[in-house]
Amino acid sequence: MRIRDLASTGALALAALLAASGCGIGGAGDDTPALQGEVTGEADGEITFQTWNLKADYDDYFTALIAAFEEEHPGAAVRWLDQPAEGYAEKLSVDAAAGELPDVVNVAPDLVHPLAEAGLVLDLDRARPGAAGAYLPDAWAGFTMPGGSGTYAYPWYLNTGPIFYNRALFERAGLDPDAPPATYDELFEQAVAMAEATDGEVAMLGQTPGIVDLGLYGSEPMNPEGTEFTFNDAAAVELVGHYKDMYDAGALVPEALTQDYTGSGEQFMSGAIAWAPGSAYDLANFRTNAPTLYENVGITGVLTNTGQAHMYLQGLAVSARTAEPATAAAFAEFVTDAANQEAFAREVQIFPSTAGSLDDPYFTEDDGTDESRVRVAAAEQLATATSYTPVRFSDQMQNILRNEIALAMLGDKTPQEALDAAVEESNALLGTD
Amino acid sequence: MQAAPTPWLFLLPGLAACVVFSLYPFLNTVALAFTDARTISPGGFTGLDNFARMADDPRFWLALRNGTLYVIGVVPPLVLLPLLLALLVRDKGPGIGFFRTAFYTPVIASAVVVGLIWTWLLDSRGLVNGTLQALGVLSRPIPFLTDEWLLLASAMAVTIWKGLGYYMIIYLATLGRVPQELHEAAQVDGAGAVRRFLVVTLPAMRTTMTLIAALSAVSAFRVFTEIFILSGDTAGPGGRDITLVMLIREVSSGLDGHVGYGAALSLVLFGLTLGLLLSVLRLQAGRKGPR
Repeated sequence: MRIRDLASTGALALAALLAASGCGIGGAGDDTPALQGEVTGEADGEITFQTWNLKADYDDYFTALIAAFEEEHPGAAVRWLDQPAEGYAEKLSVDAAAGELPDVVNVAPDLVHPLAEAGLVLDLDRARPGAAGAYLPDAWAGFTMPGGSGTYAYPWYLNTGPIFYNRALFERAGLDPDAPPATYDELFEQAVAMAEATDGEVAMLGQTPGIVDLGLYGSEPMNPEGTEFTFNDAAAVELVGHYKDMYDAGALVPEALTQDYTGSGEQFMSGAIAWAPGSAYDLANFRTNAPTLYENVGITGVLTNTGQAHMYLQGLAVSARTAEPATAAAFAEFVTDAANQEAFAREVQIFPSTAGSLDDPYFTEDDGTDESRVRVAAAEQLATATSYTPVRFSDQMQNILRNEIALAMLGDKTPQEALDAAVEESNALLGTD
Repeated sequence: MQAAPTPWLFLLPGLAACVVFSLYPFLNTVALAFTDARTISPGGFTGLDNFARMADDPRFWLALRNGTLYVIGVVPPLVLLPLLLALLVRDKGPGIGFFRTAFYTPVIASAVVVGLIWTWLLDSRGLVNGTLQALGVLSRPIPFLTDEWLLLASAMAVTIWKGLGYYMIIYLATLGRVPQELHEAAQVDGAGAVRRFLVVTLPAMRTTMTLIAALSAVSAFRVFTEIFILSGDTAGPGGRDITLVMLIREVSSGLDGHVGYGAALSLVLFGLTLGLLLSVLRLQAGRKGPR
């Protein structure tokens, strides 16, 4: 009898818990209906605006920007929130799950996709028809869902960059620092030569290839419908095979198997590796934090088999449940308009995504300094650049790819087996299993 | 007789905090484990699907293997070494305070700082490899952080190093309660220092050793920071050093995280650690039984 009572009580408790689980999690924390249709009206409400690790260095810029918006729109008030870089996606997911997404929020394309799928951010094509014309078409397309409809963030700033190389390390390996690799074949050849000449003390590369590298080499990361990843094609397999050869020759530092972009950058700054992709922003960083490297740094163009460099993209999304949609949309458009993006680009060494902005002499004329040379080259590169990171490629998938490629480097899997496994697992994550 | 309400009033704030911050999250996790919830979508009831998925997930088995190895590698040293340390610093003497503090310092150091220090030590261009190469002992660096097994061993070394001082303090407290007469009696009977340790000190320490074994085993199964910091968040080359907590974090985090699956993994981890704890305690109870 007692056992039966206990079982009944347990079953009831479990049922209650399961019922609670249906409403205790997820983006349904806020019952406000998602906005549909066009957003119009006066920008005179109070909104929150969240950036991604920008307060420390650009406080003055944003304070002035917000003041200018509030002056232009009497009655409007913007509360600025800034989140640290570390754990940004987690913070965003907590806000989204609680139904407390900021009214205007800084996002990268891969962060927008799940928010859009859950109906938490405005479809700007419907909410602000005609807004697209103000931005570069490729930048606008960067926030459009593949195979679907709708654009879910205003393009904000762009970045792309050259390759930096350490001239001193090239000389030490007997390589010509004035003739850095200009093709992939030259890179593979010189990387092995460098490892052999320095008896493995200096490596050319600090990282295994990621999704962007596969795309630059000629792989198609995803099908056009956005339903399946395809980065296990012949081009990708060939590139991973070359990396395996380089790894065996000692042309990659051992930490390459566990290292991300940041770790690779640190290895370049410390002189452990000779070749690293970067951006215009990095040059100032080298000058401040690695002066010896700065004196020896060489700058060369991005290697690509497609003719298109990679474009990093940031955007501003508007919450679909904001109480002040007109103010939020107007503020996002204000922050991302040509004048404000150009002003921000002068502060940060990034590039505006607004149509026509890159024609400004600041981005087209080289004044003889290294910074302007990198800036002009990068701006020129942006004219044809594209984003090789599919918007549906999450951090978890990135980790899976990195781990599978590490297994290929160790010889536990062939490049084809490793990429097949990464694609299979990533495709499984795409579903709602 | 009616119970006085005052004690309950005093207990109320603590109980409320316990319900809000411990009991409710736990019950919510139990509920989530039977759903396909994502981070920002509630999902629906899926029965035992998450547990079936776990059985087919090679990373789950890898995490289980690593957790088990971690327990085997960490628990014995954490039971024995702190006892030896406690014996060394038990007696008061000149400079003993310095040693006690030095041994305890890793305990209060942040796990992240400890991890970073060890990364600098063990990196292929770190202090250990650099020194050995400069001395001509090595021609190639030892891959402490890039080899599946060496990384696991390095993480264990960090865990042991960080835990020594904490368990040493527990032993010190117990050592102070061992009756001095027993030592004196054994000495009169002609027992030397080693024999006195074996027949007097060790039996007196048995309960504390069991407690430390249980605590360190549970901590070992839940290891995260050491491997996370040393491997740069990939869980080692090819993810081969993944642990259950790392797996839970990986599958549950981000905007499209599989929260339901993560909750199911958490439940399994809870069951494993509870089972481990109960086994150790039962073992101890068995020893105490009637003779």
